Amino acid sequence: MSQTVKHFVLLSVFSLGLAGCASDIYAPPGGGDRGAQPAPQPPRVEEGEAPGSPRLSEQPRNERQQERAPTPGYQEQGDDLSPAAISLIERADALMADGQAEAALSQLERAQRISPRSAQVYFKLAEAYARTDNLGAAEQFTMKGLSLAGSNSRLQKAGWELLASIRHERGNVAGAEQAEKRARAL
Amino acid sequence: MLVLLAGWTVYLDAVVTSRFEGRRFEVPSRVYARPLELYDGAAISASALRQDLELAGYRSGDGSRPGTWQQNGSRFLISTRGFGFADGDEPRRRLSLTVSGGRVTGYRVLEGDNSPIIRLEPAEIGGIYPAHGEDRVLISLEDAPPLFEEALLTTEDRSYYDHFGIAPLSIGRAMMANIKAGRVVQGGSTLTQQLAKNLYLSRDQTLIRKGNEALMALLLEWHYDKRDILETYLNEVYLGQTGSRSINGFGLASQFYFRKRFQNLELHESALLVGMVKGPSYYDPRRNPERALARRNLVIDLLEEDGVVEPAVADKARSAPLDVAARPSWSENRYPAFIDLVRRHLARDYRQEDLQSNGLRIFTTLHPAIQEQAEKVTSQTLDQFDQGSSNTRLEAAMVVTSRDSGEVLALVGGRDAGFAGFNRALDARRPIGSLVKPFVYLTALSRPDRYTLITPVKDVGLALEFENGQRWEPGNFDHKQRGEVPLHQALSRSWNLPTVRVGLDVGVPAVIATLQDFGVTSDINPYPSMLLGSVTMEPVAVAQAYQGLATSGFNTPLRTIRDVTDANGEALSRYKLEVNQVADPAAVHLVQYAMQEVMREGTGRSAYRTISENLGLAGKTGTTDDGRDSWFAGFSGDLLAVTWVGRDDNGPTSLTGATGALPIWTRFMATIPQHSFSPVVPDGVQYHWVNSEKGVLTDEHCENARLIPFIVGSEPQGFEGCDGDFSRRLRGWFEGLFQ
Repeated sequence: MSQTVKHFVLLSVFSLGLAGCASDIYAPPGGGDRGAQPAPQPPRVEEGEAPGSPRLSEQPRNERQQERAPTPGYQEQGDDLSPAAISLIERADALMADGQAEAALSQLERAQRISPRSAQVYFKLAEAYARTDNLGAAEQFTMKGLSLAGSNSRLQKAGWELLASIRHERGNVAGAEQAEKRARAL
Repeated sequence: MLVLLAGWTVYLDAVVTSRFEGRRFEVPSRVYARPLELYDGAAISASALRQDLELAGYRSGDGSRPGTWQQNGSRFLISTRGFGFADGDEPRRRLSLTVSGGRVTGYRVLEGDNSPIIRLEPAEIGGIYPAHGEDRVLISLEDAPPLFEEALLTTEDRSYYDHFGIAPLSIGRAMMANIKAGRVVQGGSTLTQQLAKNLYLSRDQTLIRKGNEALMALLLEWHYDKRDILETYLNEVYLGQTGSRSINGFGLASQFYFRKRFQNLELHESALLVGMVKGPSYYDPRRNPERALARRNLVIDLLEEDGVVEPAVADKARSAPLDVAARPSWSENRYPAFIDLVRRHLARDYRQEDLQSNGLRIFTTLHPAIQEQAEKVTSQTLDQFDQGSSNTRLEAAMVVTSRDSGEVLALVGGRDAGFAGFNRALDARRPIGSLVKPFVYLTALSRPDRYTLITPVKDVGLALEFENGQRWEPGNFDHKQRGEVPLHQALSRSWNLPTVRVGLDVGVPAVIATLQDFGVTSDINPYPSMLLGSVTMEPVAVAQAYQGLATSGFNTPLRTIRDVTDANGEALSRYKLEVNQVADPAAVHLVQYAMQEVMREGTGRSAYRTISENLGLAGKTGTTDDGRDSWFAGFSGDLLAVTWVGRDDNGPTSLTGATGALPIWTRFMATIPQHSFSPVVPDGVQYHWVNSEKGVLTDEHCENARLIPFIVGSEPQGFEGCDGDFSRRLRGWFEGLFQ
């Protein structure tokens, strides 16, 4: 791995910010003790809609809704890393510092399973792949991280810089310049 | 006569050497579920935690002996045993945590290495066995725990190191011991004879067999040294039965009865296993605990009499409970459909005979609680469909994956999940119907200069004439035509005519290219009918294609295996997470908006009669002609699930995607703690309040105002407020002020 990439990929988790707030979770009714309870009933069947008797339309009935339906959800930024994911990333950092990038990847994938909606975890995966000279994977993980950075300009900047250095290393000069431009604009 | 005997001996010698050398190394591969990871914030219900603990062989107990757990209200005490994973050892720990609101809180390590996250031992969910169904965990003599060899030889063959295969003297001594005890406590056969019997002979008690056994024992001793023979005996001895599989050897027996490694057995446990050699079924500690206890204590008595252990040690061992672990779940292949997919993935890199005999350890992605829920919901819902209806012999399939990692968490191959028959999740190849529509609209929305979510699309009939004179006249499911509709509604309501028009406008080849980018490998006929889903796919292939829609346009290859190690835990292969961007995240975000609208207002909205409105979901229904296929594919923040319902004979049903596949999907989703689908707004996308019917920007509080995402630059330029409705605007203004 070249010095350029090394220079840019040394993203400390801390420099990427780590509030540990967990997002809302849906809990099934029954206080999680559903083992003792029957599975929830299927949707209440409206007349003429019983699974046995055909419903004529695949479309819903009331086209005109009186109440405005809940708007589809979105969020401006990805999730923060959970403390458990941070501890795994720290383990991965220690392994990478020790030259064990492959072992670090295992820990980072565990972190990804815990905080799959945080941009940071993908940037760290990109770093580990860059260290194993797998620049194609490094670029993909950087872009995945960028797709979750949202309006967080610090993460956007870090991501575009990382992407620029990886593309540079791959010999994609135009792509690298484009990424640098994005980083500078932030 | 002598010639005959000599010839027979030569024959037996060949049998002895070839079988002895060949059989010693045949160890089946073990397949593990994903290990449960516990940490603050982990999404889990109390029942799922209990289930995971039970599957991993934990007993409800004091929570301080390794392998036990205790529940007090919502508080759990868990004492883990530790496990060697492919990426390192997970040490033994004791921890406490609370499960409430579908998540872990108050996680604390009480004893052992402190860590904010721990892994339980993974549940063993199956094995890849040699054809003869014998199972074992290979051990070497050096692994034997203290006093094990003494206990075995004292009980089974005192003169083992002195005889040459058979021991006339020991037969006499056994008789004496039996007379003294008033019952049979020792057999006269040497260990070598027992091994010969196990390895080569049937169980019938004839003189000829006894003669062969003795002859083979002599031959074994002549060819091999005592340590080799004893080690083979340790691995060969029959110690129980579970379903069609036999438990062979002390290595596997330690796992099967105690969930422990052979090396770690304590004296009372060693004594029990040694005692069981005489009659594994008669002394089965799970079925006949009293008999087993008496037999175990007899073994300890013998050790004490011989002065091998001090009386105090013997007393302590005799007073210990049997300590047998809960019966493991892997008694049978419990998840045949999932294991089927694991085998197919393994077949890419491993040969069948290596899997059957090299004792590999295969760490999979199966999530037992999710798998059980998927199976239960599928069969229950189909049973309900059956009641009083014409829908006979409906079948179903389901694939559940982790949305962002592509790990397959559960797989249901049919309504009878325990039956290892036709695996519909992998092999039922059916037209996908309207499941194709998101890809048609994604192709269109990738051209923001031409299409936005509010682009008006004609909902008017059309007929296509082909060169060969054939006509194609698609229609809407409800046979209505609405003139002109905004694109987002056309998708969320699954109207056919607008889809065909949009698809023809962007071009069938472009839509096919999109599908291929998303990982579809089946042949797609380049006819306009593909725009309404004439393309055929298996449920698992649909899950693969939807993975990219569920994430921000990143293909994530589905995986069932994380690691494969050899019998000693050395890593052989690792199957890594891969992501591959195949679409512009901005365009995918727009499609995700419409797929959420499907659930809130469109063909999928019946889901919210069962599921809380707080859980954000996105998805798409699919139905083919005459209800032959009922599909639903959808996702939350954590899970992607695809369900299919139909008949094996491809006959008609009265179901649609919304009435067949969706109820299964909904009931499944409703029971799993998970996060909402709430996509991050990607670069280059902005939300605007618009009147989507008029195609203009508007005020938030106007009637028909919708907050809709646009790729920057494609948002409408015109503005139309809600004139005249002063009181509404005023109310809106106040609401805005105090929000």
